[in-house]
Amino acid sequence: MDKTVRRILYFFILVLGVLVVVAVDSVRNINREVAGSDWVNHTHAVILENEALRSDLYLSDGLAHTFVVTGDPGDRRAVVEALSDVSEHLDILAALTRNEPDQKGQVAHIGSLVNTRAGFIRALLGARQSGNMGAVHSLLADDAGQPALKDIGRAIEHLKQDELGLLTERDTAAFVQAQMTRWTVWTGVVLDFLLLAGAAWLIRDDIAARRSAATALRLANNQLEAKVRERTAELVSTNELLTAENLERSWANQGLEHQLNYNNLIINSINDLVLVLTKATNISRVNPAVVRVTGFEPHELINRPFASLVHLTHPGMAPMVDPIAQAMRDGRDLRDQGATVQDKLGRRIAVDVALFPLRDRDKVVGGVVTIQVIGPGERQEPRP
Amino acid sequence: MPKHILVVDDEAVIRDLLEMFLTRSGYRVTAVSTAPEAEEVASRDRPDLVITDLQLEDSDGLEMVERLKSLLPETPMMLLTGVLFDPRVVRETLQKKVSCYVEKTAPLTRILSAVQGLVGR
Repeated sequence: MDKTVRRILYFFILVLGVLVVVAVDSVRNINREVAGSDWVNHTHAVILENEALRSDLYLSDGLAHTFVVTGDPGDRRAVVEALSDVSEHLDILAALTRNEPDQKGQVAHIGSLVNTRAGFIRALLGARQSGNMGAVHSLLADDAGQPALKDIGRAIEHLKQDELGLLTERDTAAFVQAQMTRWTVWTGVVLDFLLLAGAAWLIRDDIAARRSAATALRLANNQLEAKVRERTAELVSTNELLTAENLERSWANQGLEHQLNYNNLIINSINDLVLVLTKATNISRVNPAVVRVTGFEPHELINRPFASLVHLTHPGMAPMVDPIAQAMRDGRDLRDQGATVQDKLGRRIAVDVALFPLRDRDKVVGGVVTIQVIGPGERQEPRP
Repeated sequence: MPKHILVVDDEAVIRDLLEMFLTRSGYRVTAVSTAPEAEEVASRDRPDLVITDLQLEDSDGLEMVERLKSLLPETPMMLLTGVLFDPRVVRETLQKKVSCYVEKTAPLTRILSAVQGLVGR
């Protein structure tokens, strides 16, 4: 795994981490919101019961005063029912606030005041029903201005204000929590966006780098291929040249060989004796006619002095200088020289000898001797 | 379409070398060793040039040239031989019979120049 891919992977792990944090925080806030909603409902229930208690207490008190005036049993029953409702509301309030020590204390205080007031109402009902109007007047006189009822109203109002205060606090907390949730979500979104943008930038950068590398590689390949093509062309050209040179050399060789064979063929086909002499007049080459006429094999003749095979005939005295050697030194032809050749069996054969010096530029390097056979026996007369 | 050259020589080495060289030079080459083979190729696949040796095993090269001329009157004939002729002989005799005379000792490039001079590149 290369460096860029590793970096991109780290980026995505971070994005995933941010998403997990946002999700966990959001779920926790939703749970808090649900719990807060239950608490709000509960608080509203306390306030409603509190208000109902106050309402039914004021109702029972009013109905009791009505009964005092009318003495109607129906009014008395209504008072009893209202007191029963008051008692029921007190029980509900006690149940709703049993887990909240502060409110529980307030409800107990309210319950104590309400029970006292309920006792007063029952006493008033009893005095009126028994027709003891004096006791009725005494009770009512003691309750002039209804201070107990006002105390109860204040206590109930105090509880209500406390509950409303808690509701306000809870609203503030819920708002802060909602704001926190929004902040968390938007922060996560922005962070993820930045991380994804970073990953995208890395990917783009990596793609650009890979493209650049691919381009460089392609260029290098092209250059390499061009060099290979160039080198191949050079090799092909060199090969062509070598092949052409080889052909030319082979052709030249065959030409020389052909020419040599042809020359040999000509010399070997001549019926006259042909000998090649060195400058010192030793035999260096003979044609087949020499072998045929003298009976000597070539190896018996090569390097042998020419004079030991061919004896020039001379009119009168033999010259002091060998005419063949002299002509060779002078570089001149010698023609129609009478001579005898002694064959392997010792027989003498009359011949005519001619010498042609071999020149290499201006220098005599040897000579070619041609010998024409005239007939067997000693030659007596020199040719003119 | 490459020009067709008929090579006639009784020496296999020369035939092979000429065929290889002329083929590399862009010509289509048919190489034969005898006069009857040459006449058969000439009648079947008309050559643009005939290159022949002077001395063939079964006949004389110049005689074969005469016979081929009756078959191919417009086709140039080149004599390629190892026999070194006197310039006067070449001028007075050979050039009347053949279009071109080249010695076998001449380099291949000269032979190619002569071929190109007769049939083009």
